[in-house]
Amino acid sequence: MASRQELSNFLESVERRAFKQAVYAVRDDDTALDVVQDAMFKLAEKYADKPAAELPLLFQRILQNVIHDHFRRQKVRNLWTTLLSSLQPEGDEGGTDRDPLDSMEIEGDSCSSESAAQLVERDQILRVIDAEVQKLPTRQREAFVMRYWQEMDVAETAIAMGCSEGSVKTHCSRATHALAVALKAKGITL
Amino acid sequence: MNEQLFAYRIRQALDESAERLPFRVAQRLERSRSAALARAHPAAAESAAAGVQYGSASLALMQTGRPSGLVRLLSTLIPILLVVVGLYSISIWDDAQDAAETADIDAELLLADDDIPLAAYADKGFGVYIKNIRQ
Repeated sequence: MASRQELSNFLESVERRAFKQAVYAVRDDDTALDVVQDAMFKLAEKYADKPAAELPLLFQRILQNVIHDHFRRQKVRNLWTTLLSSLQPEGDEGGTDRDPLDSMEIEGDSCSSESAAQLVERDQILRVIDAEVQKLPTRQREAFVMRYWQEMDVAETAIAMGCSEGSVKTHCSRATHALAVALKAKGITL
Repeated sequence: MNEQLFAYRIRQALDESAERLPFRVAQRLERSRSAALARAHPAAAESAAAGVQYGSASLALMQTGRPSGLVRLLSTLIPILLVVVGLYSISIWDDAQDAAETADIDAELLLADDDIPLAAYADKGFGVYIKNIRQ
């Protein structure tokens, strides 16, 4: 049974990755934050009594389900809002009252010795990699992120995705190949 | 570069990217985490932290402040049982009242005048007639 501290540590260790994973899927920061929060709530409410070792797989499954639920709800909502949104004047979504804190980044100690030019260059590379990961087909991206970023093994990834282990390997291989080609085309070598 | 090594490099980049999240996002994630922990089942989290397991429902209730499953079940079943017993008692009492009324009518008939024809006893409305007379 996971203690409160173990649950807290676990959530802290996965929240940033979960957020990025949600952003890749829903392509909106605020929606991704809501998705991660929903997943955290469900894990805490229903599975807090599970052993700490089971939490990563449970959280991944919950996160995937919440993302899929979001798309289902969005599909229904879009049926009703398409007409209304077309009446809205253009440019309203520009966000003239953008919060300056939105673009403020947390500085890490490891970056303090790097020059500004290096930081900018590195930031650009990271943005390109982020964008390319986001561009991957959904199943390939899910498999790649769970397998290589969340460090889940093939069997766990297959369970979380609801497919066979062979499919996971195929998705991962295709995703890796597609990323390598895309990054090479942009002159990025890792 | 093989697949594993390439994936490792991508992973490093994604980790770095996740560490550079905007302040607003990091704060919101922290708030979400705190709210989620507040929603965690208190009994599970506390008993796990203390490493203590309680054997009886009443002890669990005293220690955690939340009723256990058995207590919740009993608190639902007992009122239902009381209502059923109450309805059954009312039904028995009502039957007894009816029997007493019928007995009164029979007693009135026995004490009544002997001039009553025999066919009147077989008449269904005769009981009502006697009752009306009494009133």
